[in-house]
Amino acid sequence: MKSKLYFNSNNKWAWLLAILFGVLICNPLVLSANTAHSGKDGSGNGPLNFQQQQIEVSGTVTDAQSGDPLPGVNIIIQGTTQGTTTNMDGNYTIEAPGDATLVYSFVGYQQQAIQVNGRNEINVALQQAVTELEEVVAIGYGTAKRKDLTSSISTVSSDEIDKTPTADALQSLQGKVSGVEIVSSGAPGTSPTVRVRGIGSYPGRGNESPLYVVDGAFYDNIDFLNTSQIESMSVLKSASAAAIYGVRAANGVIVIETKSGEFDRETQITYDGYYGVQIAQDVVKMANAEQYSRMAMNSGSAADSLYILNAMQRYGRSRKNPNVPAVNTDWYDEILRPGPMQNHSLTISGGTSKSSYSIGSSYFNQKGILDMKNNYNRFNLRTKADYRANDWLTIGGNVIFSDAQRYAPENSAWRRAYHAVPIFPPYDNQIDEAEPLKLGAADILGYRGGQNPLAATEFNENHILTRKILANFYAEVELIPEKLTIKTTYNHSYTSIQGENVGLSYFVTEKMQRENANLNKYTNIFSDKIWDNQLTYDDSFGNHNLKVMLGHSFRDESYQRLAAGGLNFPEEQRTAWYLDKADEINEDAVGDDGSRLYGLSYFGRVQYNFNNKYYLYGTMRADGTQKYQQKWGYFPSFGAGWSISQESFMQNVDFIDFLKIRASWGQLGNDKIQPSAGTATTNVVNTAIDGSLVSGTQRTSTYSVLEWELVEEFDVGLTTTLFDNRLNLDFDYFIRDTKNAAINVQRPLLGGSTLKNQGEIRNSGIELSLNWSDNISDSWSYSLGGNMSTLNNEVLNLFGQPYLNGGSAEFRQRSIPGEPLLAFYGWEVAGVYQNQQEIENDPIAVNNGLVPGDFKYVDQNNDDQIDAEDRVVLGSYFPNFKYGFNFRVNYNNLSLSADFMGKMGNKILNRKRGEIIWTSDLNKDAELANNLWRGEGTSNKYPSASGLRRGWNQKMSDYFVEDGSYFRIRNVQLSYTIKDQNFMGVEMPQTRFYVTAERLLTISDYNGFANEIPDGIDDFMYPTPSVYNIGVNIQF
Amino acid sequence: MKINKYSIKLFVFIGLLVGISGCEDILHEPLENTIVAEETDYTQTENMISPVIGLYAEFYGMGWEKLPLVSVRGDDVNKGAQGDQQPFGETDKFNYNEGYWMYNSTWQGFYQGVFTANSTIEEVNKYKEHADNKALADKYIAEAKVIRAWYLFQLSRVWGKIFIVESSDPSGLFNMELSTKEEVMQYISDQMDQAIPNLPDSHPNQREDITGGVTRYTALAIKAQANLELENYQGVADATSQIISSGLFSLHDDFYQLFKLEGKLNDENLLELQYSDFGQGSGEQRRHLFNFYGPQSWTPAREGAGSGWGFWEPTLEYIKFMLDRGEQVRLQTTVLFTPDGITELENEYDGTVPDWISNETPSGDIIENGPRANFFSGKYYLPSNQLTQGRTAYGSNKNYQLIRYAEVLLMHAEALVQGASSNSISADEAVNLVRERAGLDPLSNVTLDQVMEEKYAELATEMGIRFYDMVRLERYEELNYHEGEAEFTEDKIFLPYPLNQQDLLPQLQNE
Repeated sequence: MKSKLYFNSNNKWAWLLAILFGVLICNPLVLSANTAHSGKDGSGNGPLNFQQQQIEVSGTVTDAQSGDPLPGVNIIIQGTTQGTTTNMDGNYTIEAPGDATLVYSFVGYQQQAIQVNGRNEINVALQQAVTELEEVVAIGYGTAKRKDLTSSISTVSSDEIDKTPTADALQSLQGKVSGVEIVSSGAPGTSPTVRVRGIGSYPGRGNESPLYVVDGAFYDNIDFLNTSQIESMSVLKSASAAAIYGVRAANGVIVIETKSGEFDRETQITYDGYYGVQIAQDVVKMANAEQYSRMAMNSGSAADSLYILNAMQRYGRSRKNPNVPAVNTDWYDEILRPGPMQNHSLTISGGTSKSSYSIGSSYFNQKGILDMKNNYNRFNLRTKADYRANDWLTIGGNVIFSDAQRYAPENSAWRRAYHAVPIFPPYDNQIDEAEPLKLGAADILGYRGGQNPLAATEFNENHILTRKILANFYAEVELIPEKLTIKTTYNHSYTSIQGENVGLSYFVTEKMQRENANLNKYTNIFSDKIWDNQLTYDDSFGNHNLKVMLGHSFRDESYQRLAAGGLNFPEEQRTAWYLDKADEINEDAVGDDGSRLYGLSYFGRVQYNFNNKYYLYGTMRADGTQKYQQKWGYFPSFGAGWSISQESFMQNVDFIDFLKIRASWGQLGNDKIQPSAGTATTNVVNTAIDGSLVSGTQRTSTYSVLEWELVEEFDVGLTTTLFDNRLNLDFDYFIRDTKNAAINVQRPLLGGSTLKNQGEIRNSGIELSLNWSDNISDSWSYSLGGNMSTLNNEVLNLFGQPYLNGGSAEFRQRSIPGEPLLAFYGWEVAGVYQNQQEIENDPIAVNNGLVPGDFKYVDQNNDDQIDAEDRVVLGSYFPNFKYGFNFRVNYNNLSLSADFMGKMGNKILNRKRGEIIWTSDLNKDAELANNLWRGEGTSNKYPSASGLRRGWNQKMSDYFVEDGSYFRIRNVQLSYTIKDQNFMGVEMPQTRFYVTAERLLTISDYNGFANEIPDGIDDFMYPTPSVYNIGVNIQF
Repeated sequence: MKINKYSIKLFVFIGLLVGISGCEDILHEPLENTIVAEETDYTQTENMISPVIGLYAEFYGMGWEKLPLVSVRGDDVNKGAQGDQQPFGETDKFNYNEGYWMYNSTWQGFYQGVFTANSTIEEVNKYKEHADNKALADKYIAEAKVIRAWYLFQLSRVWGKIFIVESSDPSGLFNMELSTKEEVMQYISDQMDQAIPNLPDSHPNQREDITGGVTRYTALAIKAQANLELENYQGVADATSQIISSGLFSLHDDFYQLFKLEGKLNDENLLELQYSDFGQGSGEQRRHLFNFYGPQSWTPAREGAGSGWGFWEPTLEYIKFMLDRGEQVRLQTTVLFTPDGITELENEYDGTVPDWISNETPSGDIIENGPRANFFSGKYYLPSNQLTQGRTAYGSNKNYQLIRYAEVLLMHAEALVQGASSNSISADEAVNLVRERAGLDPLSNVTLDQVMEEKYAELATEMGIRFYDMVRLERYEELNYHEGEAEFTEDKIFLPYPLNQQDLLPQLQNE
């Protein structure tokens, strides 16, 4: 056998690698290695040699769980069409060759293949198939089988999560779950933006994110979890599903269960590791020196022409074009690098009859693609154990410790790289006085500032140490065996964040220098305690099945911050970066902040079904909070389901295995809104009077008095399984209204905004997900999946106000009833005036002194004026259509999968192009620079170079608002698994090798760097890179 | 027996629940880390000064763009070359852009000040109930009224009809009516009459509690300015006479140094924005962003001193006017010359350009050519060698003068030549005091034209005084100096309301 060659190899690692690559290249080898143990190999040769040795085999087939005999089970001799079925008592008899393999199959049960090995009696216990419907889903303070749900819950399992190389497991949900929008974040150690069914709360205060419940504790994000620690993530989408978490569930709930052991299970040791490289993708092309120079010369600004001339004098002229400076810097090139990442995790789990445990450790390391001290390291330890203390008491505990170190990027570098002009070099040795680095500076050419992004990346360090402990302990007491239990759980999540922002001193020019090195340190401590008590009653009376839960929860969440800063410390000695070693303490940087909020909740849930056909579900939650003036909120929810496939009249419809329709309604409160004092508050301020710093007070003239923001949702859905459980389909339609929405209402005259309950927002849409999986043969199987969701975001009313302004004064966003929330709002560009004739024929152009090359705006009300009345909604940043699809093909132990996704209908404000309103000393993207209007017929889309600078063309218009749709090949993975192999007589652990490409390709028309922009305003974002990695998973 | 065991467990559980329910009171605790204003102990009357200091902090913290927007439109100053902040330059040329960010920011910033003043008055009133010294409370209230009046004065000069707001609560604004400019100016004058008796009878720099703060004479100066806008010249003369007769104010001998560190809390100032680096080379400081006014490029006498943005260009017209008058002191103080500027002057000026015109300032800083302008602002220039050792930011530690005694004298003179009668000095005496300091010969029987020329020469580039004078006297031709580029007409007097404010307050849309 060919595979022997490898087995004899002395170097174990070489063998592992060889297999990996062998798998990729050489298929026959895989076959032979794979089939060495398979019964098929035997039967392939067998019938010829052993045909005569027929024996009679008989036995009983039973249900493994109940022990009941199973009638009608199919038994087939593998590789033939011969077979039989069991009788009413589960008994069978069959004639088969003595070395044959018998295959036992039955709908709803896992197929089993057993070698006869000359035996005459074979009794088989079949395990029920764990179809998606039988899967147990976390529903909050309990679990339910998927088929019993009356609301919309999507679950993603660990093998899907593991496919995505990322620090934050939420990233792996992108494109996977209908109705969930994930906007990735490229910076190491930062979390993506997650939106469940649109937007529940008015955005902008960090309160859009769903609630994360990790093993019962509440979190705002899950950046501290390693993906390999997660067993499953359930997205509770509908209000009825989330209502049990009432208080914070308005934006949806994601329930995360970490991996745990199982009672009576052998020890399993799992290693999982990968190594990968991140590479920036779709880098936006900026104007090069030639394009930029042309634009500057055409700008009509003498100053800008002079700067070009200065550049040519200082750095010489380009040999290709003597009117262009010789320097041509691609600033993105200067600040980008490939970023390696790796992950290793080890988990040991198992259990005895009395205890179960899972202990693990993991390490994650990622270097950012921004070329500076920018990386993320995280080391996690985890223990989860359960113990059956006696026949009525079970206790358990779960501790996760996460130690993360992050060097945060200096994000201004992205902005500067975009805006920096290409006609000065990153390094300029002609600047004698520059130290410690001879950086180039744009102000030498006359520009207002130094511009060089390397000043941001070279002289800044942002160091953040995050240590988090999540500890939870529970005791569960059975009051009446299998019927009535009480459980008390205490959770404490403790986070300490030590931050250090360092600005090192440097000098390049007067305008690009930092005279005093500064050191700012802060410590943030978050200490959140939750104490939950719940009483569960589970019983059946004939066909009536009832489950009742009553609970109570107490929360105490505190936050403390201390900050201080100093100037001029021993910069060259990293170990001396202490405020004690600083020359001076900066009083302005001293800060002390904190908050402590209490919450109290009572909740209950009833789950009832009649004969597994008719389902009723209800929850009630009362939440008390300290944050608002209305202290208590009451949030009910109801659900009902009808399992039509259980009805007798459906028994004859063969292709339907399961069909259920369901409907639910629920209300939720949102307490993620910032607390309102409900009264005027006083701020301490200080100012210089006669050369001394004197402090005084300012009383806020406005304040918020808030009620609970309420989310009300109606959801109808259908869950079905068709064609022998091969096709799963879920369909939902939802209407989700946020009532009493707390909105930052702009204050007239004095600016700023006040939070008020001032609106009603609706999100509605349909969600569909489909999964088809099938085995073509023993070797070949495949699955196809797809999901899509629509979202219609709409402001229903604003309590009588015609609109509410958002965004900034220059880049207006406006919420208008009937339109999406925070829609971009401005003028529509009809084109560009091409010639003088066109100007003269248009009174608008004449009255405004326009020239050819200026924008022509649509005069919406035809009054021959372009004014405030001509503004219209230019689009919304919410995608109205999202889709994802995937396939997976397995051929024996080889598996190929690919995920695709996309979103449509969202707009992005190209805010970078808008920076010209404040300063014109900037570069532009190549698309714009190349396609500016340069004379009649040259462009009807962009103004002239000089027009770019005129206020007329800087109005908020659809010139700035671009289509943000994209399609992405999100993940492609090829893997090979070695199972049941021996190596030199020792059984090999089950080993899976894989190669993955994450975010392989993104297709978009948007003229910017990153199209993953949470709020639709592209100012500067850390781009989301592609990742290519290889990994291995070994199970001992 | 079994049931019993369960009941015990159940009772324990229920006991727990009842126990925790007692926690409900904590939901009513006030939020951590907030100072609840209502909890303020107003009997601690020694804290009465705190909201007043808070108001000064707001006043002095004024953003850089506000005063230039108020002041840019006259023939004394240009915004500086085109290309950057173009709509600001367009404003200089009377092409207004309601969507331009500076309009909104200035409007909001000034109104923020008005609201802070209102809240200060409300706070002080609460202390007043418990104060033994009610006069002190009245003084603070009067002080807040003066600062509020200053804000309203600027707002109304720029936008005409505005809202007079007297409460710190903005919720009533939606139904509020606009007041005309005349109403606003009369309101300011009346407010000052109310405030004056309660204010200290001293020079601002003599105040002990808030040195450099508002006094009776600041209120009188603002009253005079408001009456000037109303063309109530007798009102102007009466107010200015009181200031002059007090004998507390005088013109600083050295006009050049008046706009440098010597100008801080100077006897000439009636109102100024105070800043400081606290005499330290690093660390905390309060500064105005004078960079806006500074030369774009220079060789500073002190190495490493930062330059400015080059936006505040005295006009060629002004320079020629001053050369025609044979002025040196005020021209040298008001204008920084670049080499290109001097060349331009040599080409453009009909007379001889005197030798003393140089691109080296009297303080030894060498002004280089800047692409944005040929001339830079001298009044908002702080010589590099006056920076505290260790500081490099342009103009740091310099104060911003808002009302000078020279302006008071010239308002006085203008009122008299317009027919008002004086109970202090004559118009000739007032004008000659200003001329004497500038090294010019005295005049007699001064005319309105001579007073206005004196104002132009003395107060150029400051606070838009020139522009609003020309508008008031309807001398629009003086504003048409942009040589065909821009024409001033009566409908250009006021800026359009910021679009953002129109969106928020429908009353503004109908104006």
